[in-house]
Amino acid sequence: MKKIICLIALSTVFLSCEKNLDSLSYDKKNTGNFPSTVTDANQMLTGIYSTLSQAISNPQHSHFYMSELASDDRFGGGGENDKDMQGLDHLMNTKSSRFEPFWIARYQGIFRANTAIENLDKVEGWESDAQKNQVLGEAHFLRALFYFELSQMFGEVPLVISTVAENIPKAPADETYAQIAYDLQQAINLMPSSPYSSVISGHATKWAAQALMARVFLFYTGYYNKTDLPVANDGGVVNKAQVITWIDECVNNSGHGLVDDFRSLWPYSNDLTAKDYDAYTGPLWVGDGNKEVVFAVKFGTSVDWGENYQLGYSNQYVLHFGLRSNNGLADTFPFGQGWGAGPVNSRLWTEWRTSEPNDIRRTASIMNAETDVENYIYGADSQMEETGFWQKKYIPITAYDEGTLVPSYAIIKFNAPADMQISHTQDLVLIRFADVLLMQSELKEDATGMNKVRARANLPAVSYSLAALKKERRWELAFEGLRYFDLMRWGDAANALAAQEGVAIKNKGIDTQMKAFGGGYKARFEATGGFWAIPEAQIQLSEGVLTQNKGWGTPAAEFTGW
Amino acid sequence: MEFNFYKRMSGKTFRFALACFAVHSLTLSVPLELRAHEVIVNRHGESRIQQSVSGVVTDENGQPLQAVSIVEQGTTNGTTTDAAGRYSLNLSNSNASLLFSYIGFVSQTVTVANQSSINVTLVEDVNVLDELIVVGYGTQKKKLVTGATIQVDGEDLQRLSTASVLGALQSQSPGVQITQSSGQPGEAFKVTIRGLGTIGNSSPLYVIDGVPGGDINTLNPSDIASVDVLKDAASAAIYGSRAANGVVLVTTKQGKPGKLTLSYDAYIGWQNAYRMPSLLTAKEYMTVMDEVRFNEGQTPYNWAALIPKQYQQIQDGTWNGTNWLREIHNDDALTQNHAFNLNGGTEQSNFSLSYSYSDQEGIFGKPVEPDFSRNNFRINSNHTLLKNDDFDVIKIGENLTYSYSKKGGIGIGNIYWNDIHNMLVGNPLLPAYNEEGGYYDRASKVADGWNLDGATSNPLASMVYQRGLNENKSHSLLANVYLEVQPIQDLKFRSSFGYKMNSNSYRQYTPIYDLSTTTANPTDDVSQSQGMGYSYTFENTLSYARTFNDMHNFDALVGASMEKWGMGEGLNASNSNSLFPGSWDHAYIGNAYTIGTTTVIGGMRWPEGGLSSFFGRVNYNYNETYMATLIMRADGSSNFAHDHRWGYFPSVAAGWVLTNESFMESTQGWLDFMKFRASWGQNGNASIDPFQYLATIAFDSGNGYYFGDNKNDLITGAYPDILPNPIITWETSEQLNIGIDSRFAHNRLGFTFDWYKKTTKDWLVEAPILAIYGTNPPFINGGVIENTGIELGLTWDETIGEFRYGINLNGAYNKNEVTRIDNREGIIHGPEHVLSQGTTEMYRAQVGFPVGYFYGYETGGIFQTQEQINNYRNQGLGVLVNAQPGDVIFVDNNGDGAITEADKKLIGNPHPDFTGGLNINFGYKGFDLSLTATGAFGHQIAKSYRSFADSPLQNYTTEVFQRWHGEGTSNKYPRLTMGSHTNSQYISDIYIEDGDFVKIQNVTLGYDLKSVFLNMPFSKARLYVTGQNLFTITGYSGMDPEIGYGYDQSWVSGIDLGFYPSPRTFLVGLNLTF
Repeated sequence: MKKIICLIALSTVFLSCEKNLDSLSYDKKNTGNFPSTVTDANQMLTGIYSTLSQAISNPQHSHFYMSELASDDRFGGGGENDKDMQGLDHLMNTKSSRFEPFWIARYQGIFRANTAIENLDKVEGWESDAQKNQVLGEAHFLRALFYFELSQMFGEVPLVISTVAENIPKAPADETYAQIAYDLQQAINLMPSSPYSSVISGHATKWAAQALMARVFLFYTGYYNKTDLPVANDGGVVNKAQVITWIDECVNNSGHGLVDDFRSLWPYSNDLTAKDYDAYTGPLWVGDGNKEVVFAVKFGTSVDWGENYQLGYSNQYVLHFGLRSNNGLADTFPFGQGWGAGPVNSRLWTEWRTSEPNDIRRTASIMNAETDVENYIYGADSQMEETGFWQKKYIPITAYDEGTLVPSYAIIKFNAPADMQISHTQDLVLIRFADVLLMQSELKEDATGMNKVRARANLPAVSYSLAALKKERRWELAFEGLRYFDLMRWGDAANALAAQEGVAIKNKGIDTQMKAFGGGYKARFEATGGFWAIPEAQIQLSEGVLTQNKGWGTPAAEFTGW
Repeated sequence: MEFNFYKRMSGKTFRFALACFAVHSLTLSVPLELRAHEVIVNRHGESRIQQSVSGVVTDENGQPLQAVSIVEQGTTNGTTTDAAGRYSLNLSNSNASLLFSYIGFVSQTVTVANQSSINVTLVEDVNVLDELIVVGYGTQKKKLVTGATIQVDGEDLQRLSTASVLGALQSQSPGVQITQSSGQPGEAFKVTIRGLGTIGNSSPLYVIDGVPGGDINTLNPSDIASVDVLKDAASAAIYGSRAANGVVLVTTKQGKPGKLTLSYDAYIGWQNAYRMPSLLTAKEYMTVMDEVRFNEGQTPYNWAALIPKQYQQIQDGTWNGTNWLREIHNDDALTQNHAFNLNGGTEQSNFSLSYSYSDQEGIFGKPVEPDFSRNNFRINSNHTLLKNDDFDVIKIGENLTYSYSKKGGIGIGNIYWNDIHNMLVGNPLLPAYNEEGGYYDRASKVADGWNLDGATSNPLASMVYQRGLNENKSHSLLANVYLEVQPIQDLKFRSSFGYKMNSNSYRQYTPIYDLSTTTANPTDDVSQSQGMGYSYTFENTLSYARTFNDMHNFDALVGASMEKWGMGEGLNASNSNSLFPGSWDHAYIGNAYTIGTTTVIGGMRWPEGGLSSFFGRVNYNYNETYMATLIMRADGSSNFAHDHRWGYFPSVAAGWVLTNESFMESTQGWLDFMKFRASWGQNGNASIDPFQYLATIAFDSGNGYYFGDNKNDLITGAYPDILPNPIITWETSEQLNIGIDSRFAHNRLGFTFDWYKKTTKDWLVEAPILAIYGTNPPFINGGVIENTGIELGLTWDETIGEFRYGINLNGAYNKNEVTRIDNREGIIHGPEHVLSQGTTEMYRAQVGFPVGYFYGYETGGIFQTQEQINNYRNQGLGVLVNAQPGDVIFVDNNGDGAITEADKKLIGNPHPDFTGGLNINFGYKGFDLSLTATGAFGHQIAKSYRSFADSPLQNYTTEVFQRWHGEGTSNKYPRLTMGSHTNSQYISDIYIEDGDFVKIQNVTLGYDLKSVFLNMPFSKARLYVTGQNLFTITGYSGMDPEIGYGYDQSWVSGIDLGFYPSPRTFLVGLNLTF
């Protein structure tokens, strides 16, 4: 009996040992021990960049996509089920919480940047202050970029700049822009003045921060009709002169420049495609990460639907902007298959031809289905809002691999997955040096920068006027995610968008005209100010602390289809 | 298209051989034995003048019974059976009747007449309330039980001839809802005890031979002695920690002292689909497609130009299109089971040894039909090391079950991973095979000028290529050893160590194919994964039982247990470019080793965790009339932070046997037994991902980035992956149970009743948080779900002479309601795109509604005329902008003049209000006949066989003929439109159907040859035929109304996107006991 009691006592002591309940995570660290090394810091920074790809996993709800389809130069398109595409074009909503994936991705990026900015001091073993400042500067740059995209898209958003979880209302635009200006100032001051090429491509530089500052300044002062950009943390203001100093520095010291031929910026000129692309006679593609790229979202080849990687590791815009099934094959070589989003407004083609008949950039940017491809099928796979014009900057570029047509040159060049949906590796250029030159012109109101851009297109120099600059931006930067915001800041949006009504289109192959929905483009723009609906689910989760933007949440704002 | 299916073929050959063996034993060996016995019978028949009789007494399993008393009626002349069940008696009267009686068995009287050999099978007295049931760390007399439990006998499971234990439990367990998650062989069941209490892990805790956490699917029904389900909190409380969803105790067969018995049980069956939707033929399809185009303002298709060859064949009547579902139907799919059981031993040592093999082919998926096979080996033994005159002092024993199963299947998931769905929507104008016998692929399309749509691909070929070549193997070893020491009469110490080992491997191959412009795979893909690990449980209990003054019965138990899991690792790899393209046999990573961009390599330790527990139980009863039970359990779980680890789970229960009271004597004539019982208790649940309390930093490959211009180097990123919840702790389910057990009419009629209210508090839920918090939500203790219900059981058993029959009817009613969700909106949203791309959320958990209810628009028929639409508008009712005659009338529930999100409401509930089971059995001499039925009522199913947004060319079922095509033609099915018109795009009640059904699960007719051929060397030789799933009575229009699929969510069911149905099976079987 005694023995048994002993045995039970023993086993009880053994079992009660809490050690049995202590477990260790074998695949994660925690904030108690992270970040502590420079490697940790770099991984943290990579984690922030990763949210750029995260947003592109759901491209149809993102900033870039919206600015393209909502602009006057492109329609919605897609198949008849792609109301998301057509809704963007008409400044209308298609479903509750439609921009939520983008909203989530951006705030994830912001949270990660906040975490990095708060915790980088814990890291030991920096090689130099410069090394630390580069990481910190990039974190500030990214946070500014994220808030700028949110502000351009939604107008006012909650401003979260610490890792504390708090249910807060939208901040006034001035406050958010002040924070953006502050972060960009930090980024400019922290990062070194070495040429762009001293940093691995994909990382933000001082030059990218200066260029983004100029863009932010132009948008904020233009749209909100202000002269200066406020700076948070009692940083005073950023005035135009200061921005000009920075943009001049960027032009002069960054090492960036224009490539020789406009056409070699785009992948249709790549060697693997060009060998079979008889109609193309220009120089070969300069590739991603060329000297004109100031900041870009990078893509790669390990991609899947989220099992191991993420969809946004490949350029999903390229897929969405591709030709709908039954086109995109040998008959439309080298333009490949996709979801048919964003047909080009034929007015862009005609206005451009009239205005600048000898501009090589027109045919270098737009594919004319009548003349540029062997045999194009109208109404393929129920294509909607079809004009016969497609942009060529971000579109699947096919190639022949030993006689077999493959969905992308990247399959041969980079060994990308041989799948039309995930094979696109073309970087998405957010800031191109040509834009820097044009912003320089616009800020300084002189034609120097602008004429460098024209010279590259073999066009004669012109003298500066805002009208000339507006045109130049429209031609040079077509389909690069800028047009819609340019219209907004110039105050041209309502009329320019309304001019889409009445343009000849085909729906499922049947001739018709682009028509007004929800009261028309102009009414929609005026109702919303060009901003979009805050995701309804987020408003509900906030118990009403977040409020819906004007012009949204009413049946009139809902696009239910053609 | 060279394809190597050798592996699968060899499986088939093996199965065929086994089937032959089974048939052989039925047709050859049995008659041989029979002839031998006829001789013996004849010889005995001639010696009838002897005035003595002898024979063997066995139980229903053919086990000999020792010490059975045999008395010549009306005399004192008698004897008892020996250890082999034999007896011999000299009769005093040639017209004698013998009374066979044995405790726990129904006594039997046999008239000797002229027989000299009388073998008797005594039937266990099922009415005896002294029967023991398993209650967790012990057993208890049924009549003393104060909680709500069910016991199902292993034989009752086995006689249903199902491959899985849960499949057989279905009709026999009121309050336990068991639903197939797919009819594909080897797929799991959803088990919900007394209503869904959580949207997390809702499966009950399985305790196999005392070891918690085993997998019931690894067992063969023939290995099971009994299954006990502990439904109320008080019964389950002894397993407190993980008992919130109930406890299922499985006991495998144990050895019994006595003669060595060998049994062989086998069946072989043929399965077919019993209901297939009628799909459009080629001609019908062309007509419908042209009508769609007409409605869209388009010209009809020029079929002759688009599909020149097929059009010709259709027109001249030589071909009527492909019925894809028919094409993949595996006619007479084989199912079989073979089980050998050897039992025996002495009082000192006994054992039970078994081997079984079971195999089931799928009814859909040809030519790569799913296949599930399982081999089980089990050995259980018990040894008495030290014994005194009254009891065993030291006992030792072990249970060991090894199982090896193999499974291959086709896609049964969402609309993009469901081959049944793909066949339902497959284009009937596309042939399955080309003239060379290869799959009709892109080259065949080009060759034939098939030009309707470039993206249309052969769904059969894509099933084979994309989802058909896979194999899942798993090994599991479940072992436990125990030591029992009983130093004095009333005190028992038991120590048991349980060990679970699992290992699994998976292999998949996707060959190169080119089926259409969008369905092509220019490089092949091989993937393999493997994992192996173990867990253990160590338990010590001390129990004491004592009766004082013959009245006060008291027993107590204290114990401690610890569990540790996660000692294991997994490895996985996938790669492209096999050195043996097209060969499934060679689809191994070693044959595709060149590292490229598609290379995926992974390897990780299993997440580890532990549980420490202390528990105690006191049972007291006064003269078996007043009962009380008190249980307390404390559990610590590694899933929670240090200060929030421990949960305490108390329970109390009481019972009163009314019929023991003296004032009830007057009712003894009709009321044999009546007990009232009541219980209250709390149970816990800790099944969440670990480390929710910690601000973890994750490094997964989905959160990296590509820097530089090398497109192949993904740089690893780190990110805070969760908003930590440091105070996360146990979920508690609290349950009140009130019940009655009663028996009437000389124990023939049994009636049980239970009422319960189960409240799951501090529900562990991953509730959405504001996106501005920047990371993933943690689990929180954030909600309350209430389940209230009633369970009824009615049994009737009677023996009239040699005719026995029994009826068992059970039913359960349950009401499920979410009463609190602690996030800001009080809703857990379901996903989008379930029925088709672009459709919105269709189910959710929300306060005031059943968990996972269907959410959408109510409809009010179809607009018949423009005038009607105008009238609606004039009345201020919401009508969609584009509405035209033939469109669905969405109901403007809030009357705000617009159809908006605010008009959506509950349009269906996937949980049945009422579930029931019925068993009827008859026995007469050697014959037995039984019928089993199961049913569920009051729930809805969301059905959509078309994922319309993906392609307007998807096929329809002939339901399309009921569409609206002019005023008065239909008030239910809208006009035909292309793709995702709001008619189909809006989730509404047009997708919802009532799911009520009654399934006749099993009808079996058996005959025991032993009753004719008394002296054959078997104690039992039963042949039987069974029909499974003979009838389903339902108004549901789909293939199978029993649908556990819920978009891979445990808390949702009843979504039919092309559900793999359960088969109708005819089988023949044999039970032999030597």
